[in-house]
Amino acid sequence: MTDKEAIVYVIDDEALIREGIQSLIRSIGLRAVPFSSASEFLQAKRTDAPSCLVLDVRMPGQSGLDLQRQLNDAGIFIPIIFITGHADIPMTVRAMKDGALEFLTKPVRGQDLLDAVQKAVDRDRESRKERAELNAMRLRFDSLTPRESEVLKLVVAGLLNKQIADQLGTSELTVKTHRARVMEKTGADSLAHLVRMAERLRAALPK
Amino acid sequence: MHELQMNRFVPQRSNALLRYGAAPTFVIAALYLSFALRASFGNPAWFFFPAAVIAATWIGGKGPGGVAVVLSTLTVQYYFVPPIGSLGINRHDLPYFLIFVGCEALASWVISWRKDAEDAIRQARDQLELRVEERTTELKNANEALMVQMEEQRRTQEVLQMTRSELARVVRITTIGELTASIAHEVNQPLAAVVANADACVAWLYLKEPNLSEARAAAERAIQGATRASEVIARIRSLINKRPPERIPVQLNLLIEETSMLAASQAARNGVTISTVLDPNLPNVFGDRIQLQQVLFNLVTNAIEAMFSVIDRRRELKIRSQVQDSGQVVVSVQDTGIGVNAETMGRLFEPFFTTRAQGVGMGLPISRSIIEAHGGRLWADSILGQGTTFMFALQRAEAASA
Repeated sequence: MTDKEAIVYVIDDEALIREGIQSLIRSIGLRAVPFSSASEFLQAKRTDAPSCLVLDVRMPGQSGLDLQRQLNDAGIFIPIIFITGHADIPMTVRAMKDGALEFLTKPVRGQDLLDAVQKAVDRDRESRKERAELNAMRLRFDSLTPRESEVLKLVVAGLLNKQIADQLGTSELTVKTHRARVMEKTGADSLAHLVRMAERLRAALPK
Repeated sequence: MHELQMNRFVPQRSNALLRYGAAPTFVIAALYLSFALRASFGNPAWFFFPAAVIAATWIGGKGPGGVAVVLSTLTVQYYFVPPIGSLGINRHDLPYFLIFVGCEALASWVISWRKDAEDAIRQARDQLELRVEERTTELKNANEALMVQMEEQRRTQEVLQMTRSELARVVRITTIGELTASIAHEVNQPLAAVVANADACVAWLYLKEPNLSEARAAAERAIQGATRASEVIARIRSLINKRPPERIPVQLNLLIEETSMLAASQAARNGVTISTVLDPNLPNVFGDRIQLQQVLFNLVTNAIEAMFSVIDRRRELKIRSQVQDSGQVVVSVQDTGIGVNAETMGRLFEPFFTTRAQGVGMGLPISRSIIEAHGGRLWADSILGQGTTFMFALQRAEAASA
C-alpha cells in the first residue's frame, strides 16, 4: 500500500548510500528527499505530509542521535529509522528510549528498510490524522462561550438539567438551550459521543 | 715536598737529647779505648776519634757530628798532643793537628750529607708507597662504585627493555584494534552503498514496467561503491607494505616453539604429530619477529594440510633448526605428505598458484618475499609419495650486523 503523498527524508553524509536509499524508496513510489547533514535538514522547509526519517547515526558534525533529541525537544514528531555501521547496546537503548522506530545496521537489506519505511509512514499518517482530529475537536470546543463551557462541564459530570439549573442559578429551560448549542457546536451525535470527545481532549491536553 | 720535610724533622726533634748525647758518649768511648789500647798500638787516638765523629754523625746527624768534632779536637789536643795535659800546642805539631781536625770535619760533613740524602730517599720512598697505597685504595673504591653503578644500570636497562617490549605489545594490540575498527568502517561504508544501490537496481527491474534508466543509475552507483571499497583495501595494503620491517635479534627456536604450540590444535584435529629438533646453540637472527612467525606458521599450516590425504602412514611434521658451517641459520619444516611433482615444484612460489580447493595461493610467495627481504633464502625439496621439506636460511645476527 503505497502513498503518493508520503515523504521520506534521508539523512546520510555518504552520497552513494544516500542516493541508493533514495532510489530504493522511490522504486516503491514514495518521495524521498535527501540531506547530507542534520543541520541541512533542520534548515529545510518540510512539506505537510505523512513522512519519516531515515537517519545515519555516525555523521560529521551533529550525530543522528543528537538530531533525534533536538526534534523531540522542539515538539516535532516524526518517526525515525536509524541506520548505523556498528550499533552498540547503549546507543540502541538510547535511540529506542527516545522513540526510534527501527535500528538497522549497515549494510541494510533493502526489504528491511522498505518495510520499516512503510511502517513508519503508516504510523505517521495515523498520528497525523489523530492530531488533526484532535485539533479540529479542540477548535470546536474552543468556540463555546464561557456559559456553554460551564454547562458542558456539568453535563459531562453526569448532572441532570434540573441540577445544573440549580447549580448555575438559572432556569431549566435556559440550561436546555445551552445544552443544545453545545451539542450543535461540538458536532456530538449523542450524550455518549460528547462525553467521549471531552475525555479525549482532556487526555490530550497535558501534553 | 713540604710535607716530606715535616715528616723528616718530627722524629729528630723528639729524640734530640739522645742524638746530642751520642757525641760526648762516642768521644768518651774513643778516649777510653785510646788509653786502654795505647800500650799495644802506639797512638790509636788518631783512629778512634775520627771513628767517634763518624759514629756520632751517623747516628745524630750534622749537629751532633759538629759537637763530636769540637769535643774530640779538644780532647785530643788536651790528652794526646804535646804538651800533654794542656790546650796548648807546639808550633811544629800544628799542621798535623789541623789536618787531623780538617779530616774529622770533612768525614763528619760527608757522613751527614750522605745520611741526609739516604733519609730523604727513604722518606720519599715511604711517602711514595703511602701515596701508591692511598691511590690504590681510591682506585679500588672508585672501581667498586663503578661496578655497583654498572650493575644498577644493567638492571635499569633490563627493566626498561621489559617495559619497552610490553609497551610495544600493548601499542601493537591497541593499534591493531583501532586499525581494525577503522578498516571495518572504511570498508563497510562503500559496501553499504553497494548493497543499497544493488537493492534499488533490483527493485526498479522488478516493477511491472521495469525502469531501466533508474536501474542502470543504481547499478552504476553500486559499481562506484565497490570500486571505492577496493581502493580502501589497496590503500591499507600499501600502508602495511610501507611499514619498514623491524630489525631486532630474534630467537628462532622460541619462534618455532610458539608456532608449533599455535598449530597444535589444528595438528591434533588432523591426526598430525609435531616434533621439533632444535639446536640449543642456535644463534639469533636479525629480523621482524612477526613476519618470521608468519612464515613459520604458513609453512607449518601448509605441511599439516599436505598430509590430509595420507592414510597409509603416520602424519608427522618435523621442525628442525641448525647452524651451518657457513654460519647460516637453517630452519626446515618437513612433512610426510604426498609430496609434489616436478611441474608443481616449479610453480610452488608463483602468486595465486594453489593445489587446494580453498587455497588463495599467496602463502608461499609472501613467505618467500619476507625471507628474501631478510636477506635469506626459502626453498623446497620433495620426494613424491614421501613428503616435502621447506627450508629457509638466514644470516646469524652477528654476521648480519657486521
